[in-house]
Amino acid sequence: MNKSTTQDQEGEEIEMLLPWYVTGNLAPADRDRVETYLASQPSAALALDRVRAERQQTVAANEALATPPAHAFATFAGAPPQSRPNIIQRASRSLPTQAVLEFFRRPSPHRVRTAALASAALVIAQAAAIGWLLSLDRPVTYQVASGENVRDGVYALVVFADDARVADIARVLAEFEGSIVDGPKPGGVYKVRLGKEDKPRPDADVLLRRLAERREVVRVVLPSMR
Amino acid sequence: MMQIADEASLIERVAAGEVAAVRVLFAHYQARVFRFVLRLVGNPAVAEEITNEVFLEAWKGASNYEGSGSVATWILAIAHHRAVSSLRKTREERWNDEQAAALADPSDDPEVGAQKADKKAILRRCINALSPQHKGIIDLVYYHEMSISEVGEILKIPEGTVKTRMFHARKRLAELLRQAGIDRGWP
Repeated sequence: MNKSTTQDQEGEEIEMLLPWYVTGNLAPADRDRVETYLASQPSAALALDRVRAERQQTVAANEALATPPAHAFATFAGAPPQSRPNIIQRASRSLPTQAVLEFFRRPSPHRVRTAALASAALVIAQAAAIGWLLSLDRPVTYQVASGENVRDGVYALVVFADDARVADIARVLAEFEGSIVDGPKPGGVYKVRLGKEDKPRPDADVLLRRLAERREVVRVVLPSMR
Repeated sequence: MMQIADEASLIERVAAGEVAAVRVLFAHYQARVFRFVLRLVGNPAVAEEITNEVFLEAWKGASNYEGSGSVATWILAIAHHRAVSSLRKTREERWNDEQAAALADPSDDPEVGAQKADKKAILRRCINALSPQHKGIIDLVYYHEMSISEVGEILKIPEGTVKTRMFHARKRLAELLRQAGIDRGWP
């Protein structure tokens, strides 16, 4: 190999490294090699200028792009982290619930009227049930300002495991006398009530720990206010 | 580019499902990811959708983050994979030589072309006209300031290939510039 070929090869290798030299992302050994070459070959300054110009216009081209829309996080955070459908979506695949969900998904004047009548009937039934319960001579756990009798449970924020099946979730909830009272919130978080009675804090913590150990069904369990 | 002080801890919190941590991650990297993807797929609506997918995947896979590379490298790797998959699916990889040749106006001789716009504008136009593969590596190196090893990690190619791909991207850029009437004397 003659001297000229060696120089050409060295020049090409240096040309390959220049983009990273310009951005300051070369390993020290390569950086020294480039600097030595640049010092010995004044004509290489042109190559450096070319790379700097390329970089400048690449940055300008990127910066000229629109920034993402302001609502992007809301759109993103509105979806739970699971790529799988959430529990409600999974449950909705069963035919009986499908019809109910479809009813609410596509409101029409007729459906809204029907829903209003159903709600009114429900309120009346609920009032009757509360009246009946009040008439019973049972001890009251505590009474809220509204006068409603409350025998409450332990509340938790729960993220279910990505691969948890609805049947497994239902089984574990039944085991803990639990029910989903809210959700999914952003992040796929559900509020769950466990049991029907208030518990002292230490007992509630034990209950939450026991639920958190059911890794086949839950990913995260956090204490929550009612 | 600015880095988050304690990236590992942030990703741990993301893995734990902490929405505030996801918000920080999203706020910090969203613009970079969106621009990187947009430059590859060329369609803002598709880029926005892919950007959301990228962060969902990062959220879901945060527990698999090994912490050996930077979070930016990890997220841009997901973004690159998603963008390339989208291009394959929709067959939008339409940057070809014919399109690139359309950059030069055949009615112009080189001198007239050069007078029409300054060299910087032509250079930027030619960078924009590169294929997604070439534009992707040029963006990663010049705009996202990734090292050779980081680019290799993002594109899943060896370091030697990173250097040659960047070299070929720059050579292609020089060809486009020549077609547009600018000869930079290289290669």
